[in-house]
Amino acid sequence: MERKPTSARSGAGTPGPARPPRWATRLLASWSHPDTREELQGDMLEMYAYWLESLGKPPADRKYALAAIRLMRPFARQKRSNDYSETYSFSAAMIQNYFKIALRNLLKSKTFSAINVLGLALGMACSLMIMLWIRDERAVDAFHTNNGQLYRIYMREYFSGKVQGVIWTPGLLAEELKKSIPEIEMSTPYSWTNPQTFSVGNKIHKQATNWASADFFKMFSYKLLQGTPEGALRDKSNIVISRNMAEAFFGSAEAAMGKAIRYDNRKEMTVSAVFENIGTNSSLQFDCLMTWDAYTDDNGWARDWGSTDPLTFFKLRKDADPAKVATKMLHLLDKTNRDAGKPYKTQLAMQPFHEYYLNSNIKDAKMDGGRIEYVRLFSFVAVFILLIACINFMNLATARSSRRAKEVGVRKVVGAMRSMLAGQFMGEALLIATLSAILAVLLVALLLPAFNSLTGKQMVLPWSEPMFWGIIAGLLAATGLLAGSYPALFLSSLNPVRILKGALKFDSSSVWVRQGLVVFQFGLSVILIVGMIIIYRQVGFVQNKNLGFDRENLVYFPIEGELFKKYDILKAQLTQVAGVKEVSHMTANPASNGNGTEGITWPGSDPNDKVRFTPVGVGYNFTKTMNLQMADGRDFSKDFPTDSSGVLVNETAVKVMGLKDPVGREINWGRSKIRIVGVLKDFHFQSLHTAIRPLIAYLAVREPQGSVIVRIQAGKTPETLTAIERICKKLNPNVPFTYAFTDQEYARQYQSEQVVGKLAGYFAFLAIFISCLGLFGLAAFTAEQRTKEIGVRKVLGASVAGIVGLLSKDFLKLVMMAIVLASPVAWYIMKQWLQGFAYQIDIEWWMFVLAGVIAVLIAVFTVSFQSVRAAMVNPVRSLRSE
Amino acid sequence: MRRTFLGELEEVVLLTVAVLGEEAYAVTVAQELDQKAGRAVGFSTVHTTLQRLEEKGFLSSEMGGATAERGGRRKRFFRVTAFGRKALREAKEAREALWSAMSPDTLQLMTR
Repeated sequence: MERKPTSARSGAGTPGPARPPRWATRLLASWSHPDTREELQGDMLEMYAYWLESLGKPPADRKYALAAIRLMRPFARQKRSNDYSETYSFSAAMIQNYFKIALRNLLKSKTFSAINVLGLALGMACSLMIMLWIRDERAVDAFHTNNGQLYRIYMREYFSGKVQGVIWTPGLLAEELKKSIPEIEMSTPYSWTNPQTFSVGNKIHKQATNWASADFFKMFSYKLLQGTPEGALRDKSNIVISRNMAEAFFGSAEAAMGKAIRYDNRKEMTVSAVFENIGTNSSLQFDCLMTWDAYTDDNGWARDWGSTDPLTFFKLRKDADPAKVATKMLHLLDKTNRDAGKPYKTQLAMQPFHEYYLNSNIKDAKMDGGRIEYVRLFSFVAVFILLIACINFMNLATARSSRRAKEVGVRKVVGAMRSMLAGQFMGEALLIATLSAILAVLLVALLLPAFNSLTGKQMVLPWSEPMFWGIIAGLLAATGLLAGSYPALFLSSLNPVRILKGALKFDSSSVWVRQGLVVFQFGLSVILIVGMIIIYRQVGFVQNKNLGFDRENLVYFPIEGELFKKYDILKAQLTQVAGVKEVSHMTANPASNGNGTEGITWPGSDPNDKVRFTPVGVGYNFTKTMNLQMADGRDFSKDFPTDSSGVLVNETAVKVMGLKDPVGREINWGRSKIRIVGVLKDFHFQSLHTAIRPLIAYLAVREPQGSVIVRIQAGKTPETLTAIERICKKLNPNVPFTYAFTDQEYARQYQSEQVVGKLAGYFAFLAIFISCLGLFGLAAFTAEQRTKEIGVRKVLGASVAGIVGLLSKDFLKLVMMAIVLASPVAWYIMKQWLQGFAYQIDIEWWMFVLAGVIAVLIAVFTVSFQSVRAAMVNPVRSLRSE
Repeated sequence: MRRTFLGELEEVVLLTVAVLGEEAYAVTVAQELDQKAGRAVGFSTVHTTLQRLEEKGFLSSEMGGATAERGGRRKRFFRVTAFGRKALREAKEAREALWSAMSPDTLQLMTR
């Protein structure tokens, strides 16, 4: 309605002079009270027209100016709130409101909050633990200050178009490298660490021993408590010992310096330095080091280019170009007599030292794989589990969005923009992620000791490292953003008109996404379950596989000290012991024999084709003691004096040589002729990671080396062992008696597989558990949403079983789909893993069925927990209120 | 209970707003006072008084009714609140009480 001032006269035709003084108008416009400025200016114009008409222009001007001056309120602030006040989302009030709402929502539905927080916390704890493990793995050998310049040599042997990698190098190589390649500043051989006997006075201990050159402590950063890196291994008589060893023999590191220590009861060594005990962060492990020269004094063959024994490490000069050095060393061995008269060419290659620990496998003559595969595997697992936990969060948040939809609608109507809402929900996700992170850190702190004992590590939470907090912050941000992204985008996209009308129907796409997420989640779980089953089966297979010999009740101990000379007496005395069935000896030991020789030729052998045989020197009775089966011919026997030039070979060797009628055939080993007297059935003398290689067993009766093997009677182990120990003590008083059971040693070769199997089990359990948490939440939600429907159905006569089926069916469909989709992926992944074993189990269909059944059962159990409860509710209660 | 004191000018302005009803805004109030009450009240005084009355709760206001002669600016229309009516009534009663308390002689003297 148009209201006109009662007597204002200023029609459209009125000529122009009716204008108030401009300065007064401006005064009014800028200095009057801001709350009333608009209407005041209008009022004043009307008043001016009124005065003009009733009094004339000069008094009107005067009155107008006077009023304008009197209406000045230069210090007034705006009090009345603006009609269109801006909401801006980062105002203190809004932030306070966000927190309040978030907290109320958390507390309102305690079950869902608990599921969310617990699921995320478990996922994070798991990831955190795996990250700690990976960090620890990566830290191995990282402490050497020269790390960038340290390398390891390995050899590539080329023969008849094939190539084979070998990590063991000739003992002379280290010195030769320094001489021939100027860029190589230092180098050292490093043998296989093995226990040796040391004594001081009447203290006798076995210590893990190795040998290295004088450069060793200058190259590697092992901390010396006493002595200097330069003087540590200068002289043949020097020995460098660990703090533990010094304390065991001399009481302290200080007391040990310069003292004498007896090695193997035949050499006096002088302690020239003491190093701090080597931690688990070093791939090289030893209690004491002696010089390489001392080693070659005892092992003359190590001075030959033809034999391979130690690893070789070297250090480059700072300015050296590794690529150039690599090409220079490629043909270094050509000028030696290494390949003389042999059908193959050996090339040298190098690998950075810090990669050695994680990449220790040789594949196609390149250093590739090894522990790094577990690092990768577990990185994936960490991401998977976190993903599963995040999916839980997304699913529950979107499913429950109908609860928040009204809030979203109201917020939108009063002016919230989409970005603000997205920010709000993202912030809530971050809040929950923060709670979970706190819980996760506590969980990790609690579980770390158990995890350590499982993995054989000594990890601690690195509280003081900023890196650690960085990781946690990163984890938190990643989880929060990932988990919050979908709910934030989904909820903020809702249409306020539809929400507030009361009909929130999820369109098919959001349901599809939610179901897709469940499928994905369960797919990951199924992959983990299948993985667990296959790893368990493979480890079990390996441990129970018929090795071709009887590894139960087979004890072995090293021939050392005086036993070299007294073997015959030892054997005579051992056979007297009641529990001892057979006694023999062999080079290497029954659980693992990695020796190799390439000098075997036979009539018709291809001079260009090199076959690596595994040689083993054995005593009489070897086959009986080991319980080996003969395929052809006969065992070594004292009745045949010619057996000193006779050999036993295994079936693989026969196959390789292609001999039709092997027994009695003559073959060549180097320059000497040997005769095959018998053929052994194949047996495993190495871990099942490698295929059975051709074996050649020769009699080594004179001064036997390696280990004594004793077959003892089942059930009499303890008393037999004490008897054996007594005999050894008497014959060999200066060496502590150490023995090993073949089956245990054999099992030890699969330690990492066992650990991985166990971890995979735990992780699979965790994944399933977290997935089920999510499913539980979803089921609860669906049951709640369909309360009315269930009520109506029950009134109309539906049975409890029918309703449970109805509610569970949808979820089961998803789980089934997950199984179908995940099985091929699981198959592919596990096929890859099994490639690492020469002897693998077959992946069979029942494994997938089993995994599927497990997943379905767990899902059914989880869902029915909710659906049964929903189905049992008295319909009167659910239908009463509308 | 806090009693807001209603000044004489305030009472007059409040009454005027009540008289004008829906038409009441600063200009009409000022012109009404000018013409009917015959008092020389400046426009700024009227305006300030209206503001004060609103602050005290006797009046409520509402924006609306922009016209061309006002430069397109809206008017602030005032309306007497319940509290305002009560205050007017009380002021009137107080006055009538005083009037009725007057002796007939004095009353005669005054009406003469």
